[in-house]
Amino acid sequence: MFSAIRQATRARTMPLTAARTSPSNIMGMPGCRTIVTKKYTEEHEVVAFDDETGLGAVSITDHAQESLGDVVFVELPAVGSKVLKGDQIGAVESVKAASDIYAPVSGVVTEVNEVLNSEPGLLNRSPEEKGWLCKIRLSAPEEMNELLTLESYKATWEA
Amino acid sequence: MTLPPVFYHHFRTPLPYKQTLLLQEKIHQLQLAARRSSSHHDILLLLEHRPVYTSGRRQTEQELHAERARLTSIGADFAVAARGGQLTYHGPGQLVGYPLLDLACTSPPIGIRDYICVMQKMIQSYLLRTHGITHVPSDHTGVFLDSVTKIASIGVQVRHRLTTHGFAMNVTKEPLEWFGQIVACGLVDVKAGCIVEAKGENVRVEDVVPGIVDAFGTSYGRDMVKLYPQNAGELGEAILALEEDALAAGEWLKAPSPN
Repeated sequence: MFSAIRQATRARTMPLTAARTSPSNIMGMPGCRTIVTKKYTEEHEVVAFDDETGLGAVSITDHAQESLGDVVFVELPAVGSKVLKGDQIGAVESVKAASDIYAPVSGVVTEVNEVLNSEPGLLNRSPEEKGWLCKIRLSAPEEMNELLTLESYKATWEA
Repeated sequence: MTLPPVFYHHFRTPLPYKQTLLLQEKIHQLQLAARRSSSHHDILLLLEHRPVYTSGRRQTEQELHAERARLTSIGADFAVAARGGQLTYHGPGQLVGYPLLDLACTSPPIGIRDYICVMQKMIQSYLLRTHGITHVPSDHTGVFLDSVTKIASIGVQVRHRLTTHGFAMNVTKEPLEWFGQIVACGLVDVKAGCIVEAKGENVRVEDVVPGIVDAFGTSYGRDMVKLYPQNAGELGEAILALEEDALAAGEWLKAPSPN
């Protein structure tokens, strides 16, 4: 987790200008170093975008799992479904509360974390890594720029 | 920072479940839209339903199919809900509370686990203070009179940090026989209890409403203000229309019919 934050910090100093001007070039640039950018939403989703694969791994934040309590059920989106930023893509159920999850970015769901079906508690133990929810192939990588940095996300819930 | 009041409304006639779900949806949409202009109002709906069994978010149509057929054959409605928890019963004699709140209106926002915990403690303290009914601690969410008797249940949905659904507390014996038809909330050896049985005194649903309103305000630290549907715009109109639907639906079945 800490290494991921470090990566995010490094990424912040290199904004996605390349992605914004010519998204189709991201995958094709030879010798381009992989950068994983982690960005957050006010709704406690986090997306880790890998600019080499064009995939964003969506999770709920560690703070979110803490405020939810023990997760007993995770509803995941269908692989292949096309989502727009803000669409409901699933839900997490804990202590008799079902909380909807929204797509932090637009794109196509390429993979879901099936392990959560049998092991929903993974979401409490490793929310931002082993407990990832789904991977989305971003259709508009520039949407990453509109999401919150770790600091600005924290500011939304810290007193 | 002083929090704005919660506006509450008590429906006098048992409400059909599906139309009430639509009212919750309507209020949710109004709140979501109003939040952008910060003219948002938190609402607490207090009501009884007409006899209905409802399922929870994680239950699949496959697992519910047979239950749906059996339960509608004894005279109840059946509805699918997107709340937490599993199969339960709502009906006359049970007070249902739907708090439609913005969990982000406090700073910091209320966490979901805390929101549920406060709800559970609110019911426990109401039962103790007003009726002298003590609960036993349980690993399960809800309020238990002993390890196998549950008097109140909780099931909530949270979208964009706005809550829907809520709690249900059995007041009279009328819901008990209906609960006897199902495994409620996935708890096999648990039966339903009620205030009348626990207290050994006659209590009506309307009698518990003022005390629950007070307990809610105290527990969540909010002032409670009675809502007047006549003066509440679109929301008020929707409430009045639902009350008319409920009156038009007429009498309800007092016990499961022995098909």
